Amino acid sequence: MTKAVTTLSPTRMELIRLRRRIELAQKGHDLLEEKMDALMMEFLGLARRIRVLRKEAFAELLEAHQKLLKCMAWMGTLETVEASLESLREAEIEIASRSIMGVRVPTVQAVKISRKLVERGYSLHTSSALLDEAASRFEEVLSKLCELAELEEAIRRIGWELERTRRRVNALEHILIPRLKSAVAFISFRLDEMERDDFVRLKRIKAMLEAREWRK
Amino acid sequence: MKYKIAVVGDLETVTGFALAGATYLHVHRDRDETLQKLRAFLSDPLVGLILITSRVREELSEELEPLLKMKAFLPMVLVIPDRKGYYPAGIDELEKLVRRTAGVEVVLG
Repeated sequence: MTKAVTTLSPTRMELIRLRRRIELAQKGHDLLEEKMDALMMEFLGLARRIRVLRKEAFAELLEAHQKLLKCMAWMGTLETVEASLESLREAEIEIASRSIMGVRVPTVQAVKISRKLVERGYSLHTSSALLDEAASRFEEVLSKLCELAELEEAIRRIGWELERTRRRVNALEHILIPRLKSAVAFISFRLDEMERDDFVRLKRIKAMLEAREWRK
Repeated sequence: MKYKIAVVGDLETVTGFALAGATYLHVHRDRDETLQKLRAFLSDPLVGLILITSRVREELSEELEPLLKMKAFLPMVLVIPDRKGYYPAGIDELEKLVRRTAGVEVVLG
């Protein structure tokens, strides 16, 4: 038996207290299990969405790269790079947070990335139309990637929380609750034993008293 | 809150996303330099999203692992394929995480 049990005082008070603790632990265990189920649903849903979005975004990225490559071949690598540095690089994403079962995850709210030709900021008369096309492709990909980043960030955080919750459920189920139960068994055994002790003692005393009575 | 976008990777990737409006750029050449830049981006309160190409992620995986694990709520970090579409399975810990938590193999790629 564990050490915590052997140092327990076998009283009725202690028994009641232990029973209450078991009840509480059980309730906590059930709640955590429910939380785990909910997180798991969320997790698998996200995994599915990521799978789809990844395929889409990565294919688009590859296409955008091909456009850029064409542009680099036409305009020259250096000129393309220069134009990209010249352009207005002020894309902004609005990020807030929401909570899924107590897990804080980021949500990308407004993405304003796609721009009109004249808003891009590089000089139009020195650049080719291929550059415009590449830029618009990359803008599209970038807004997709923002969405993907949000999902990946969320799934990562939920995954961590799931692991933590699972550890706590296991600790309750396999360590705390069995330990408390064995303590209850120990105390009720001791209490019963004491009761039997008392019973036998009373019997014995009664027998002794009766024997004395007869001798008179 | 509004945030900017940072890109770390090869020249083509950085150029492309610069055209799309990414504010912070870094072309990966040297390990230490890139690492320093990444640390700066990770601790910059203005940066909301960091795109890292798979090659950089792979090359700096030892140093990046703890950085990404310890990172704050923002910025978000996303690993993307490089210009050739190079994106090996398990480049990020996501698949490992799925296997560990869901107990099943889920193909994300």
